[in-house]
Order: sequence, then structure tokens, then C-alpha cells
Amino acid sequence: MDYLANKYLRPRKIPSTACSGCGLGQVHKKTVKAIDELGLGVEDVVWGTGIGCAGRQTFATWKGDNFAGTHGRVYAIASGLRIALPPDKKIICTVGDGDSFGIGFLNLLHCARRNVDMTVVVCDNLGYMSTGGQYGWTTPLGVKTDSSPYGTYESNFMQEGQDVLNILKDAGATFLARHTSLQGQEAVESIKKAILNKGFSLVHVIYPCVTNFSDRALGTRKPIAMYNWIKERTYGLHDRVPENEMCFRTGIYHDASNTRQEFSARLLEFTREIQRRAR
Amino acid sequence: MKRYFDTGNRAITEGAILAGCKVFAGYPITPATEIAENMSRRLPEVGGYYVQAEDEMTGMHIAVGASLGGLKTMTATSGPGYILYADPYGWALGCEIPIVVVNAQRVGPVSGITGAPGQGEFYIARYPTHGGNAETIVLAPNSVQEAFSLTVEAFYLSERFRMPVTVLADQLVTDGWETLELPETREEIEKMGLRFKEREICRGPVFYPFTDQLDVPPVVMGHNTGGTCSDWTPTDEGYDTEEVEWAHKHSYRLINKVRNNKEVIRRYEEHFMDDDPDVVLVAYGSPSRVMISCVKKAREEGLKVGCIRPISLWPFLDDLYHRKTNYLVVELNYDGQLVREVQRCVPTGSNVHFFGKCGELPSVAEMLLQIKQILNGEPLVRSDNWEWEAW
Amino acid sequence: MGKRIEVLISGFGGQGVVRLGQILAQVSVDENLYTTMLVSHGTETRGGYVRTQVVISDAPVDSPVCEDPDFLVAMSKAAYNKFKPLVSQGVIIYEPYYVEQDHGLHCRQISVNAREMAINELGREIYANVVVLGYLTRLLDGTLSKDQVLKVMLQKIPKFHEENKKAFELGYSLAVS
Repeated sequence: MDYLANKYLRPRKIPSTACSGCGLGQVHKKTVKAIDELGLGVEDVVWGTGIGCAGRQTFATWKGDNFAGTHGRVYAIASGLRIALPPDKKIICTVGDGDSFGIGFLNLLHCARRNVDMTVVVCDNLGYMSTGGQYGWTTPLGVKTDSSPYGTYESNFMQEGQDVLNILKDAGATFLARHTSLQGQEAVESIKKAILNKGFSLVHVIYPCVTNFSDRALGTRKPIAMYNWIKERTYGLHDRVPENEMCFRTGIYHDASNTRQEFSARLLEFTREIQRRAR
Repeated sequence: MKRYFDTGNRAITEGAILAGCKVFAGYPITPATEIAENMSRRLPEVGGYYVQAEDEMTGMHIAVGASLGGLKTMTATSGPGYILYADPYGWALGCEIPIVVVNAQRVGPVSGITGAPGQGEFYIARYPTHGGNAETIVLAPNSVQEAFSLTVEAFYLSERFRMPVTVLADQLVTDGWETLELPETREEIEKMGLRFKEREICRGPVFYPFTDQLDVPPVVMGHNTGGTCSDWTPTDEGYDTEEVEWAHKHSYRLINKVRNNKEVIRRYEEHFMDDDPDVVLVAYGSPSRVMISCVKKAREEGLKVGCIRPISLWPFLDDLYHRKTNYLVVELNYDGQLVREVQRCVPTGSNVHFFGKCGELPSVAEMLLQIKQILNGEPLVRSDNWEWEAW
Repeated sequence: MGKRIEVLISGFGGQGVVRLGQILAQVSVDENLYTTMLVSHGTETRGGYVRTQVVISDAPVDSPVCEDPDFLVAMSKAAYNKFKPLVSQGVIIYEPYYVEQDHGLHCRQISVNAREMAINELGREIYANVVVLGYLTRLLDGTLSKDQVLKVMLQKIPKFHEENKKAFELGYSLAVS
């Protein structure tokens, strides 16, 4: 991380205060690496974060401009910010699964509908881990957490034939991908494509939480157990997957990059046209 | 000066446009919908942007986000939406982001009566979010003309204090039709006493100084200032912290930038207050119009009655209520909100009475009757078996 | 004029009650008078009323409430019954098709058969409010000018100009009894 950290991150925020064995740093690094490989500078990116492990740990790490919204609202704030920012500025948001697929889901869907130019990297630790480990919207069925001591009974966005990316695609997102933090360059490549899309991009990255998720769900805090658990469930997009099991189907799920006009560009064009007519 | 016959909704729109508002984001709600409609028509004409959000909370977040990008912004709603602003309002207060918020109050609680006036958000406008540790600024127009000028003023104050400012109107002010004079030249603007302040950009590295000073520019994203803002307690550089000392310093600023600069915000109107009136009426917003008529009528009848209309509601102008006398506070609610503050401020030995109506204005005759009861030392007159309390 | 004039117009939805108020108030503004107009929509679908309260004055208007109207125009039964107690010195103008006159009132009451005139002369009830406007304009002679009212009326009602002019004249030429 040294080269990337020196170039892009604030020294006082490195190392982060994440638990040992946490996979969040892997997602963070992939995002910064993607920025670097695209040749973007500190001044080219405005970094947004949500609430939870992903939000708090990545907030104000970026050397340039940073903002953190209240829980689930970073997408709405980013939509407003998008109107004010020059089109070449990138908005990149690192957020959690609860923030994006739970409390902020309505805003996320409307960002997809509007095709607001931003890249949302969902850092998914499979539940509400910063509050001590409660089940969320991607927590596997039957898994024990502090709020599901008998195992989760609620359906999630990832099993029983459901996939949250389907909903986002139907809502109008123009780039969607899924990876795990244990994957390497392929995840970086997806994030690069996401950033290059002038429109709404979301990259869903599963990462291990050893302290809370693994402890309750797998009965161990050995990182290797959690890492293996994720690896065993990682498939390619076109692989046959076991029915009704929690599987992480990884790859570029949907790429309609730059096919549909972006929200702020459309708004700008609309305004210019009205002004022209008014003259 | 051009004269129009139009609504408060139009006046607020024109005030915002004149103040340099470039983004409106909101959600349709009676009786503030026309503000959104007017903005959707006017903003593109001046190179601005109208966004209709998926709900009020998102609407204000989008508006605050655009302000974070350096544009002047506004949102408008009524009670049911104002309560949904709690989240972005708090964010804007804490991050010190300027924005103008309009609330056209209607009858509550909850959805209540949509197209009739109420004054139920006097305290919610003071405490528009959770957590305390902040002062708020609230202005209350009582006419279409004032809806215009106070909207301009709200933008000015929001920039100087770098915080949200609420224009607390009511349905009769926003939907009511009246003579509206709009300035067309620089001289006319100056003659109207309107104040303006352009957006500036905080360059850091101290983004949240431990000071009560005004005119500290807000954080603006996109200029690579290294600006940071978040929902957490910030250090002076904007880093999130859990340390109580920083919370103390941040709160000091949020509270005292308003408390120590009250004079910049202070606005009120008084009538017949020079001869120690026997009864002082107090009202804000549309009922104050009837109040002023009533006091004039009372004076014609030889009664020593005066009135006070607070225009800047918060921070509350405690010193206006320094006389030891009888007070009659008139509000468009049945529970009594403003009256609690008046009660808090008056000298010991004063008598504070409350007369409330909701959904429609009280009449001059009704107010006059209550004044006479007070002067005779008798209890206020009941209407519809409703007992008006002496506070 | 030296004093405020209160005009309260009420009826049910669709009768053009608000339009009437708008025209009178706009004319007042154009003639450099001060004016306010409050519009309230009751639950007209359930036998309620639409009400517009116009106050015209040569000084800024404090209270915008018509609590002792100089002119109450009642175009429905509900409106008449609800607002008739307010009138002490003023005049009630009512539509006899919908309103049964209360003979117990002390104020002056004028029956203006606007609906029937509109149907008989112009074939449609929708012109009834303009008949009333014409009549009101006659009563407000000296405060608002007929030409100005006509001009604003044509601005505010973009369609059927000939019919509306005729309806206006019908009302205006009714003898002021």
C-alpha cells in the first residue's frame, strides 16, 4: 500500500483502526489502485462515505475532498453535489451493505434511475458489523448473528433466486459488478470500468469480518476460516451454482457504460435549452 | 418597482431567484407545492436546476449536496415534510452548510388538514434535528411582500452564519394573494433594504474553527481544498473524532456563532407600545395581521392595547417582553407554543393569556372580546365549549 | 375611498368563485389600491363551500379576513347559511336557484338570478359568475372602473370572450335597486 498510500491517502489515517483480519483494507486498496491505474490525481476525485465499518474507516482517508453522509444518505448528497461539480470530477463512494441495500436503498435505486455519475463501492461484510454484528440484507439464511441467535429467518437480497444487482439493473444502473476482496486485479479492473462509466456504477465487494461475522456465524475468529468460507462460495458469473445456497457470483454483471445520458449532463443540457428558448 | 397581484409562493420563488438560488430540490406537498412548481419554471430560465426528489428527506439532502458543491440552494415543504428534514437539517447544521428551508405550516398533527393554516412547528423549527448542541435561525413572514424579502434575507443569513435558515410561513402567507412589489433595478433593491452575500470557499486547513465569528466560508467540495465534512463530531480540520473536547469546541461554535451575533438576525415590529399598554398582544405570521387590525380598533375604542410581532422567531427575542403587564398570545394552534416562550420571558407578576385557533384566522371581534375580558379581570371567553387557559 | 371594502364570495367548486375574486383583486392592484385575497377550499365534494375573501383598501391591508363583509356573494345554500351571520351593514347578493332567502336578516339582500340569465341568454350556466361580476362591478362603481374590470376579466378568462362580455353586461345593466 505504501506507494498508493503516499500518493493518495492522508498519513494520519494510515493505518486504519480496523480490526485485525478485516478485509476492508483490501477493498479500499483496490479502489485506490483503480484510481491510480486510470491516471487520476487527488484533485480529480471527491470521496464520499456512508455509515458503518466501511464509511467510518474510509472517511477522510483521501488526500483531497471528503464527505460523509448520515446513514444511507450519501447517494442523495452525491446527487446534489453532482449538479454542482464539474463533469470531469469523479465521485467515488465507499459504503457498507446496510447503508446501501438497507437504509439507503431507496436513494440508491433513484440514483440508478437518474443515472447519476458516481461510483459506489459497496464494501459488504454481510451484516451490521460495526454495531457488534446483527444480520443485514446479505446475511446468509440461517446464519447466527447477535440479532439472530437462532439463525436468520428473513429472506435476503442474495439467495432464493434473488440478486440485488437485478433490481439495480432494472432501476437503470449502467455498470454493475461483483467481486470478493480476496480477488485480485480482476476486481481492480471492474472498479476502473465503473469509474470510467459516466453514469451510475456500483461494484459490490464481499469482504471478511473476522471479529463479528465469523465469530458468530462460523464460531471462530481465525481469519483463514472466514477467508476459506468466502472462497468456497465464490463463483464466476456463468458457473453453475448450488441452488438456494449463499453464493458470490463474481464478474461484470452488467455493462451499459456510457449508453444512457448521465443525470447532471441531462439537467445541464435541459437548462441550457430552456435558457436558449427564453432569450 | 413592478407591482403584481400574486401569492406568497411566487414571492418566495422570486426572492430565492434574486438571492442567487441555483438549485431547488424538494417533494410536492400542499401548501408548498407551488413553490416547487414556480422554481421548476424559473430556475432553468436563470441557469439553475430543479430536482424532484423521491421524498422530502432526499430532497433536502440533494439540495444540501448541491450547496456542498458551492451553489446556493433551497427546499420547501410543509409540516409532514419538515419533520422528514430532521436528518439533512442536522447534517447541514453540523457541517455548517448554507441552505434555505421554507415551511408553509398547515393544520396538524400529522397530515391534518392540508389546505388550511396552522402554526404547529414553532418549536420544531427551533429543534429541527436531534442531538441539541446547536442554535437555529428562523424567520416568519406575515405577508406576501415579506415572504419575498425574508427569503432574500434567509439566503444572506445562511451564507454569513453558514447554516440552514428556516422561513417559517403558514398556508395563508404562501397561498394568500396580495400586492407584491418586485424590484427591477439596483436602486430599488437597495431601497428595499435587501442584503446579499455571495458564496465563498473555505480553503482550510482549519475548516471548523473554534470561534463564534461570522463570515467563515463554508466547506465546498471540488476545489481540492482537502475539505472534509461528515456527520461525526469534527476536529477543527474536519477529521471524525470521539473526543469530548472536540465536541465541546464544535458545539461552542454552533451555539455561539448565533447567540453572540443575534443583532444581525434580530427583526420585530411593534404597535402602540410607547404608553405602557394594559394589554400586549403577541403573534407571528398571518394571525399577526388580524392582531394589528385588532389593536388599531381597540385604540379607536380608547383601550390601551399594544402589540408585538416577532419576525425573527429564533433566536428568541427575550427582551421584547420586558414589561410587567397583561399579555395575550394569539397562535394558529390549540396547544400554545409561542406563549410558552413569552411566559418564560415576562417579568414576575405579569399575566400571560393564550388564544388559539387553527385552520382559520381568528377575527378582530374575537380578539377584542378576549382583550376586554382581560381588562375586566374575567376569564377568556369560551368558544365551542373550548376553554382558553390563562398561562 | 378612505375605508376598506370586504368582499366575500362563496359557492361550490366549479362556479368560478376564485376567478371572481382574482379579477376584482387584480383590478384593485392595477388601480394602485392595496388588496388581499384568501382562498379556502372546504370539503366541497361533501356539501361544503369554496370561499374567497377579498379586501380592497387605499392603505395597506392589515387583517385579510372578511369578518363583516360589505358584499357577500352567496352562490350556494351552504355558503349563504354559513356566512350570512357575518353581514351587519353590508349587502348579501345571492343566487335564488340555490338559496332560499332568510327573511329574518336585518341586512339588505339582493337576489341575482345569474344562473337563469346565463342559461336563457347564453345557453350555459358557466357564465353565471360573470353575470355576478358585472353586477358587483356596478355596485363597486367609484372604486373599480368598469373598463378595467372588463380588461382584466378577458385576461383571466382566455376563452369565450364574446359570451363573457355579454354575460358581464347582463349583470352590469341590472338595475341597482
